[in-house]
Amino acid sequence: MNVQSVLHTIDGISTWVGKAAAWLIILLMTVVCVEVFKRYIMNAPTAWIFDADNMMYGSLFMLCGAYTLAQNAHVRGDFLYSSMRPRTQAGLDLVLYIVFFIPGIAALIYAGADYAADSWRIAEHSNVTSDGPPVYHFKTVIPIAGALVMLQGVAEIIRAVVCLKTGEWPSRLHDVAETDVIEEQLAHSEYVDEESRKIAIERAKAIDETARQRGMGGDLNT
Amino acid sequence: MSDPALGLLMLALIVVVIMMGFPTAFTLMGLGMFFGFIAFYDPTHLFTDNKVFELMVQRTYGAMTNDVLISIPLFVLMGYVMERGALVDKMFYSIQLAFRKVPASLAVATLIVCTFWGIASGLVGAVVVLMGVIAFNPMLKAGYDVKLASGVITAGGTLGILIPPSVMIIVYAAVAGQSVVKLYAAAMFPGFFLSFLYLVYIIGWAMIDPKIAPPLPEEQQRVPVPEWMRKFSAVYGKNAFVGTLKALVSPSRALAIETGKGRVSYGMLLTNFVALSVPFLLVGGTLWLTWWYVVIHQQVGPEVVVTGVQQLGTPDLVKGPATAAELGPPEGFYLYFGIIAVICALWQLRYYWRVDADRLEVIKLLSTSIMPLGILTVVVLAVILFGITTATESAGVGAAGAFLLAIQARTLDWKRTKEAVFLTAKTTAMVCWLFVGSALFSGVFAILGGQALVEQWVLSLNMSPIQFMILSQAIIFVLGWPLEWTEIIVIFVPIFLPLLKHFNIDPVLWGTLVFVNLQAAFLSPPVAMSAFYLKGVSPKHVTLNQIFAGMMPYMLIVIVCMIIMYFWPGMTLWLPNYLYGV
Repeated sequence: MNVQSVLHTIDGISTWVGKAAAWLIILLMTVVCVEVFKRYIMNAPTAWIFDADNMMYGSLFMLCGAYTLAQNAHVRGDFLYSSMRPRTQAGLDLVLYIVFFIPGIAALIYAGADYAADSWRIAEHSNVTSDGPPVYHFKTVIPIAGALVMLQGVAEIIRAVVCLKTGEWPSRLHDVAETDVIEEQLAHSEYVDEESRKIAIERAKAIDETARQRGMGGDLNT
Repeated sequence: MSDPALGLLMLALIVVVIMMGFPTAFTLMGLGMFFGFIAFYDPTHLFTDNKVFELMVQRTYGAMTNDVLISIPLFVLMGYVMERGALVDKMFYSIQLAFRKVPASLAVATLIVCTFWGIASGLVGAVVVLMGVIAFNPMLKAGYDVKLASGVITAGGTLGILIPPSVMIIVYAAVAGQSVVKLYAAAMFPGFFLSFLYLVYIIGWAMIDPKIAPPLPEEQQRVPVPEWMRKFSAVYGKNAFVGTLKALVSPSRALAIETGKGRVSYGMLLTNFVALSVPFLLVGGTLWLTWWYVVIHQQVGPEVVVTGVQQLGTPDLVKGPATAAELGPPEGFYLYFGIIAVICALWQLRYYWRVDADRLEVIKLLSTSIMPLGILTVVVLAVILFGITTATESAGVGAAGAFLLAIQARTLDWKRTKEAVFLTAKTTAMVCWLFVGSALFSGVFAILGGQALVEQWVLSLNMSPIQFMILSQAIIFVLGWPLEWTEIIVIFVPIFLPLLKHFNIDPVLWGTLVFVNLQAAFLSPPVAMSAFYLKGVSPKHVTLNQIFAGMMPYMLIVIVCMIIMYFWPGMTLWLPNYLYGV
């Protein structure tokens, strides 16, 4: 098994969990709408909805943390970073992952596991309302999300090492990007001429990258 | 090393490490962990019992159950669905036709589309690239000044992060402990005011110097009116409104017109009539809603009489001072309302007097392209602002509404739904993990006494409120060059927040100024990202320097807008105070 397939396996795990958790947003939206209907139109509010909403939202973003990391979508100050050579980037990343990321996430897993274990022991229920729903499973999300992020972090460290060796970043799994909307909007446009449409669609990704480097990467004035 | 010094070291380190490009959320977590460990170090305990672990997990759980942040994924989903559901080029085309007689019509249309688009989505990059393709090339072809054309796109593209419902405002609300609805109400007028200032600037410039924005050639100004409509107006007269009314009463002549695909049907006449009534319904509806909210709604609020149940605590709960909205119509309301209503009525009369086949077609185009998006936004915002539901509930309903609209417009399929869902997940995770990290970081920063040190230092400078205001905004402006708004709001804004009380500055006003300020920061050369997005899609002969030169005036306009906001806080604070009380 070569390094690339290990990387893609870990990416795959993170992405799968993240995408599965992502659907919680549709559930959350539906629950909120049903509750709005019940509360404002039927005048029959539900007590545990507040907790349920929180649980869906909390699990959603915690479990998507690793997926976001796998797609390199966590916000970073890429002003200087993106104009460096890949080797320099990888060197910085490697050091910072070991110095900041591993202790931070390890603490999160350790503290989260304790926290969740306590909650299971006393069969904790939410105190937002009397007789609130149980929260121990929700608190268990913290160590699980931490473990997933840690696994993905290991993959990122391997990436940095590979990049240091080869001078090139290993590939990531393809996923939907924000710039995809350009293609979707333009693909069936009736008012934009063929040529500029094609250029924009093909170059969307590259434009995004250049913009993030703010002109420090390449020759823009050509 | 003393504790406060450690705190400052922490602050210095975070700036350095962010600059090195490491994901900010994890930088914050790691730094918070280390410094927290030192702060809580207690030799009598095992290192595994260090209280920093408690702090960390409590802060994480706090972010997971934060009832302000919960509306982020819902608003983000709404934005992504709308972004995929609404057709921006159709929107641009119809608005441009509607404004074809106005000077610099293409630039005006660009700005209006950007404002609308800003309501839907908060992404700078995608808007600028899209408008670059759809509007930039037509503007250059029409002979517009490069600076005018590039400025309007870059400035319009950054409006999205300011105009509600924007994610930035929710994050600020969560950081500052302010109410989301109040901030939305506060950002409402400045957002549209800024876009109005841009508009005034463009039209003013084009009127003084018509060379920079020559009118479009005749054939591009023509409205694509179907052939049968021409025949129709030949039969029933030029005025489309009167003609349609006549035709509805005695349709025999209209039904005899050939369209090329069979005869005109009664349904087509009805469609025309409905389209014609849209302007009237919009104006009338807005006036009626204002009247209803200010005059009727306040009076029907029934006194809730509690019988049977013994109330806990003091039976006569002291009600806070009634909000302005509850006190009945404000002085002079009837006069102003009357004047506005008369003006609207006159304008409508003139409009219906002059409506012809061209205008009817423009209304039809506008109502199919912008109306759905517009109505959804207005409903979502109105529901939040009038306090009918909470922000979370409105966001949920808004997201569902966006789905319905996109399905109705047949622009949504399974692939796009999936994309919207996954993008929402990524954006939410990005913002909320950052929040987790910064919650730990700011907690440790406060424990170490770094916050107190900064406060003492600022207080020792003996600044007046206006000096403090200028200093804080200047710092945020400079930070806006290399950093994204997420980092600024989550890491640096909390340092200023406790000081606002000392200087008697309203956090709502200050926050709104920060939102506007970030607009200027994102327009400042040579680091503004939107310029590079535009450069990516523009023709070869447009240089980056031309784009930067085009952006400069807009940056100045933003600063003018901030000065106006400072000297006239009523623009920002009137609406929130009117709706929710001081």
